Amino acid sequence: MAPEPPGGPPVLALRQATVAYEREPVVEGVDGEVAAGQSVALIGPNGAGKSTLIRAVLGLVPLTGGTIQVLGRAPQAARRQVAYVPQADTLDAEFPVSALQVVLMGRYPRIGWVRRPGPADRQAAASALAQVGLAERASARFGTLSGGQRQRVLLARAIAQEPRLLLLDEPFNGVDALSQDLLLTAMGRLRSAGAAVVMATHDLGLAHLACDEVCLLNRHQIGFGPIGTTLTPELLRATYGGQALQLRGDGVIVARP
Amino acid sequence: MSLLEVFGDSFARRALLEAVMVGGLCGAVGVHVLLRRLPFFTMALGHATFPGVVLAALLGISLFAGAAAFGAVVVVVVALLGARDRVDDTSAVGVTLSGAFALGVLLLSAQAGFSRDLTAYLVGSIITVQVGDLVTTALVGAAVLAALAALHKELVLGAFDRGGLAALGYPVLALDVVLLLLIEATVVTSIPAVGTILAVALIVAPAATARLWTERLRATMALAAVLGATSGVVGLAISLQWRVAAGATIVLVAAALFAVSLVVAPRHGLLARRPAALVPVAATRTAAGQGPTRAG
Amino acid sequence: MNLFEPFTIPYMQRALAEVLVLGALAGAVGVLVVLRRLAFVGDALTHTVFPGVVIAHLLGRSLMAGALAFGVLTAVLLTGLGSHRRVGDDAALAILLTSFFSLGVVLISRTRGFTADLTVFLFGRVLAIDRTDLVQTLVVAAVVALVLAVLHKELVLRAFDPEAAAAMGYRTRRLDLVLNLLIALVVVAAVEAVGTVLVIALIVVPAAAARLLADRVAAMTALACLLGAAGGWLGLAISYEVSVDHDLRLAAGATIVVVLVGLFLVAAAVAPLRRRLARDRVPAVAP
Repeated sequence: MAPEPPGGPPVLALRQATVAYEREPVVEGVDGEVAAGQSVALIGPNGAGKSTLIRAVLGLVPLTGGTIQVLGRAPQAARRQVAYVPQADTLDAEFPVSALQVVLMGRYPRIGWVRRPGPADRQAAASALAQVGLAERASARFGTLSGGQRQRVLLARAIAQEPRLLLLDEPFNGVDALSQDLLLTAMGRLRSAGAAVVMATHDLGLAHLACDEVCLLNRHQIGFGPIGTTLTPELLRATYGGQALQLRGDGVIVARP
Repeated sequence: MSLLEVFGDSFARRALLEAVMVGGLCGAVGVHVLLRRLPFFTMALGHATFPGVVLAALLGISLFAGAAAFGAVVVVVVALLGARDRVDDTSAVGVTLSGAFALGVLLLSAQAGFSRDLTAYLVGSIITVQVGDLVTTALVGAAVLAALAALHKELVLGAFDRGGLAALGYPVLALDVVLLLLIEATVVTSIPAVGTILAVALIVAPAATARLWTERLRATMALAAVLGATSGVVGLAISLQWRVAAGATIVLVAAALFAVSLVVAPRHGLLARRPAALVPVAATRTAAGQGPTRAG
Repeated sequence: MNLFEPFTIPYMQRALAEVLVLGALAGAVGVLVVLRRLAFVGDALTHTVFPGVVIAHLLGRSLMAGALAFGVLTAVLLTGLGSHRRVGDDAALAILLTSFFSLGVVLISRTRGFTADLTVFLFGRVLAIDRTDLVQTLVVAAVVALVLAVLHKELVLRAFDPEAAAAMGYRTRRLDLVLNLLIALVVVAAVEAVGTVLVIALIVVPAAAARLLADRVAAMTALACLLGAAGGWLGLAISYEVSVDHDLRLAAGATIVVVLVGLFLVAAAVAPLRRRLARDRVPAVAP
């Protein structure tokens, strides 16, 4: 999918972004742009800094070097346009909320303080749930849903936010095949509507399916570009430090030493 | 007033001996409490021990037996409750402790002399210790310290690497239970001196202070014991001088030692270094070595 | 045993009004405490509020005012410490709490009637509640209810998914401070009635029981308020009846707590049955 022609600042622009804890860099030298409708896969081994980078884009972690701009502004200023989808298993499964109530949470920044969700918000939430195929489970308690279903609810929450930038942290981990398909479809719909997507993932095959660009990370950026030219055995080896490398169809398998 | 004069009366001398023994014991045990991150649990244990002690006193049986039995019951109840759906550990502890504590208060309130006894259990009454109490403290203290010495390397390994300990064939759970019982025994022994509510302070503060000054474990335990005993003596002296509650004064002295060390200790004190931000990550550059590339 | 007869006496009526309001108030705040597993914070507050109560008493001021000052201070401190948790901070917290508490004990021990005063501060004296105390409790309840109503959705979001809340732009630290202050206010309101030690039970137990039976936050809150109030009423009635009929003095505050724990155990027994019934009613739906 060709990127849209430039008009205004890119949705996400990173220039030599560096995050450090206690003077030790955790991720550094990240440099690239994501335009509306594009999606980027963040690929790298555990501890590579993918989650940290996502938190930096959310403005939750300060940069120690370089810049990050979301829609031409600092991350903290653009939060209302940015939606975050964490991994569903980080949430309390016994919490007394329904699936619809979780999705409604995505409308809170729009609703503001004091006011309660109105009919328009409920409509948006219901529609978002329908997009991930869970309309008839709206009043089920969140924790009674399967892992894949919960992940879909969290994506629906992000959809309900009507974001310009969508950030996902390992959205396919432990998710059943049907849910994976539904997630991919819903993400595609968001991209058609003009949102940019950044997705941290281990799954190289799914990265191929879902994204047109890739950012290879292993504490520093090893590559950032179109997936066809950047997801090469050589750069993957540099990212994962592996030795044997096999390409199978459009999936890639890396073997560690 | 010289120290000799302050401790002139026999009750004061008994109290002094108790303070030294309890302080020393708590300091040593406290190091293990810190190693396994058990301050909150120890606090809870202190609260939970209370009704057991009351019950034992009312029934005329040994306080240790009552406290130990009740402590065991509480641990089991907390574990059972926490294992149920929708009851998380903190709530399980909260519910159990509230119930146990209220039960203790109820039992006491049904007796006469409610306030006096209650206070003694809660915040200690060191100036009324008798020779019998001193003997008990000495025996229990010696037993606990001996157990700690005998099991030292196993307990330390278990604190850092449970898997490793299990792999070596040690009964990890049994060792955990032994340590909990030792902590429980220490808490009960501290009751005459500082009471159930404050016992955790005398266990945790000297050890935490010692940790600020040295990294070697045995040195920490020795230093903690010394600091505990010192807090006991100084606290007791001040309380006799100014006629205020002894147990609470001992705790304040221990806390003051900690606060001062927090600021001035070399290497670990606040003045010596900047506070750590978050979990430090040691980053290593990959072998690839190339700078960021923009392919395509 | 007549559970209504004791309340024909004026001081019992006041006590009843107090525990009904307190029970409901603590139950409502308790929902967030239980969902966020903050029982330790509540416990912390009960230790640190104590010296405030003592100082107020020594200065001849309102106990509530003293508790309020120290409660607010602690809430702020705890919020600050809470976000920098690392190894050793549990120790620092425990030392801080017990130091505050010891300070209170030292101060009160200089007075005569040390043990009686200590008992009152720790366990309350609900039967000695006068109209001023009741009015103060009502004011606090109104403030807390207002704040809860206004900030409800944000507080629940933060409890459920703090990362998403932060990502959406909510300052989770400020929300935490608000909740800590609310907890402090409940502790302050309860000081005269049930004392600092038992108030943690009022906060945690009804909400923990409600959690077992409710699938929505709204239902959980309603149930917690109900259970809290019921515990107050039953506890008062039982302690009165037993004291009068069987000549066995039962401290009122402690009886309330024991009743609440009893209600919790009933809820724990009933919960699995309820879940089984609910499961039978819901038809299996394909993913």
